[in-house]
Amino acid sequence: MNFIDMLEMSVTNLRKRKLRTALTVLGVVIGVASIVIMMSIGIALKVSMMEEIQQYGSLTNIEVNAPYQAEGTKEADIKRLDDELIETLSALDYVKYVSPRLDMSVQIAVGKYTGYPTLCGVSKEYLQDLNINVGEGALPTGEGSELEVFFGNMCLVQFYDKQFQGYWDTGEVPAIDLMNDNLYYTFSDETPVMDDNGNVIRKPKRYQFQTAGVAAGSIDEYHQYSYQAYCDIDQLKAFLQKAYHGRAIPGQPTTKKGKPYKEIYYSSLVVSCDDMEHVQEVATIIKDMGYNAYSDTEWIESNQKTANMIQMVLGGIGAISLLVAAIGIMNTMMMSIYERTKEIGVMKVLGCDMRNIQMMFLIEAAVIGFGGGVIGIIFSYLVSFALNGIATGAASDMGMSKLSVIPPWLALAGIAFAVVVGMVAGFFPSRRAMRLSPLAAIRND
Amino acid sequence: MKQTDKEETVISVSDLYKIYKLGQERVPALRGVSFEVKRGTFCAIVGTSGSGKSTLLNMLAGLEPPTKGEVIVAGEHMEHKRENQLVAFRRKHVGFIFQAYNLIPSLNALENVALPLSFRGVRKSVRIRAADRYLDLVGLQKYKKHRPNEMSGGQQQRVGMARALVCDPEIIYADEPTGNLDSNTSEEMMNLMRNIVHERGCTLVMVTHDNHLASYADQVVRIQDGKVKEITTGEALRERMEAMEKAVAGQV
Ligand SMILES: Nc1ncnc2c1ncn2[C@@H]1O[C@H](COP(=O)(O)OP(=O)(O)OP(=O)(O)O)[C@@H](O)[C@H]1O
Ligand SMILES: [Mg+2]
Repeated sequence: MNFIDMLEMSVTNLRKRKLRTALTVLGVVIGVASIVIMMSIGIALKVSMMEEIQQYGSLTNIEVNAPYQAEGTKEADIKRLDDELIETLSALDYVKYVSPRLDMSVQIAVGKYTGYPTLCGVSKEYLQDLNINVGEGALPTGEGSELEVFFGNMCLVQFYDKQFQGYWDTGEVPAIDLMNDNLYYTFSDETPVMDDNGNVIRKPKRYQFQTAGVAAGSIDEYHQYSYQAYCDIDQLKAFLQKAYHGRAIPGQPTTKKGKPYKEIYYSSLVVSCDDMEHVQEVATIIKDMGYNAYSDTEWIESNQKTANMIQMVLGGIGAISLLVAAIGIMNTMMMSIYERTKEIGVMKVLGCDMRNIQMMFLIEAAVIGFGGGVIGIIFSYLVSFALNGIATGAASDMGMSKLSVIPPWLALAGIAFAVVVGMVAGFFPSRRAMRLSPLAAIRND
Repeated sequence: MKQTDKEETVISVSDLYKIYKLGQERVPALRGVSFEVKRGTFCAIVGTSGSGKSTLLNMLAGLEPPTKGEVIVAGEHMEHKRENQLVAFRRKHVGFIFQAYNLIPSLNALENVALPLSFRGVRKSVRIRAADRYLDLVGLQKYKKHRPNEMSGGQQQRVGMARALVCDPEIIYADEPTGNLDSNTSEEMMNLMRNIVHERGCTLVMVTHDNHLASYADQVVRIQDGKVKEITTGEALRERMEAMEKAVAGQV
């Protein structure tokens, strides 16, 4: 017997008992919908978690810091972040690139305001990977000899007026045009040079730099780049070496005698890995080298574990109703077989293969599962839509952008699961049908 | 075309026993039955109620295993077969007509007749055409789209006949095929069956308790208390019955 014939027989039988079939399908609809909706809430939770994490930093980055050096550590043993280390780390497996980062505390005077952002010298690749949404101007090109600065969209939060009142105090955005106003930079770590009598003979110098651009977004919109002012590392180094020729560069370590080193050491390094999977491994290697390495993966993993568990629990609650539906399918099938004992006997007498008989009943159960699955998914989408519409307030209170997310794979898996559940529920009845005696056809009762 | 050599044995039963166990009690339904049926003949198994006719037929069709003895149908031993092999055997060699018609209620006449062909994996268009032809043959041109509950008993049994014939089987079994029909319809059916069977050269084994219907057969096997009482021809049976009728009339 070919499949189409069996399918046709099964569907004919289901249609003969419309109400019973409809009720059984309804059970599956409720079962599938409750699983899918519950899972969709778990998924929405996970999605918002990932979104949040992405806001705080790139998921594939490791931040490397110099370890704490005890007082009196021998010069040769002191671990510093230099170009040699960048080269070593770049050569590691799974590492895409290593960006230095040199943080300079600066004071910026503009009109009546003074700002205290951090000027970060970073590599071009790193700047690109920050995925900054540029509002005005452009990212620093790193070309040319002049230092260019790019401001994050929340930098103005760090500007204060003469009364030392800032945005958080007044709620007013300081009236500063970072692109066009004259900004006067001084390096906070530069100490004034004094003579023996304590008279200042050289005050920290004021510099002016070109503003390359400002990030898009309001002053309240947080991204990992929002607070910083960025510039190209090579330009920054070139500038510092020229401006402080022969003197200590502000913020840089000095020898015991207070003399500057030849090289400029970085505040931190950012190691970018090719995949989230490898972050942990690379971080371990770096730690073994004696540096501090920090990545978000541990945090993400524990977050994900929690999210998965919540999803499982929610799905499990939904699964109970599908279990009830499965019992419903089994009941319907048993009833149908009981009613059709004679019919099945006749088919066996007429030479219908036993496996075909089993198959027909399995298909019947699978069709119930499939029908229930499809309608259940449609229903789930409607409920999900309604949930997201009605409960937006509740969702944003929990820090979620949506309360329910049904990705296509969940819809397909839901239908497939319903079919499988139908067939599992139908298996025992179908075997029973297969084993019915053909003599049932002969008896006249 | 089937071989219609009258001498070829198509069914051979030897020393067949069937003993039912009801708790501790043993109910012997058949007690050493032996007979043969030649290919292309019409064989009637006749006997009183409870004599074991149905039991015998069920064993010939492989619906029940015998307790002891041999059943060879179309050259194959039925007693050694497993259930799915028996089903396959019936699919290949056997057609069946039931007393209670046993049409599938959800299918119309055409689909009912086509059903055994679908078990053989015949394509739908082909089997519907074949079913159509056999319904014409049994005279049901007007009832092809009718469902079983929209037909009389006689019409339903004609559908049952067409269903048994559609696979062009070597052997057709029928257990009291006219048991639920009135005597006129029964006679019509008997004529139709006999003609079709003789035309197509297939073997028909029919169970009945009615001597009159049995007299339509080529061969009559009389069963009594689970044993073969006599094997005769339909013609001989008819003559004997006519003689008895005359004797009864003479007495009156
Ligand atoms: N499944 C069974 N279990 C126990 N005994 C049975 C069973 N089937 C038949 N019998 C017994 O076997 C005997 C023969 O039964 P069978 O059905 O073959 O009779 P029959 O000749 O067909 O009678 P009828 O003309 O009434 O149909 C009867 O005594 C019956 O009680
Ligand atoms: Mg009987």
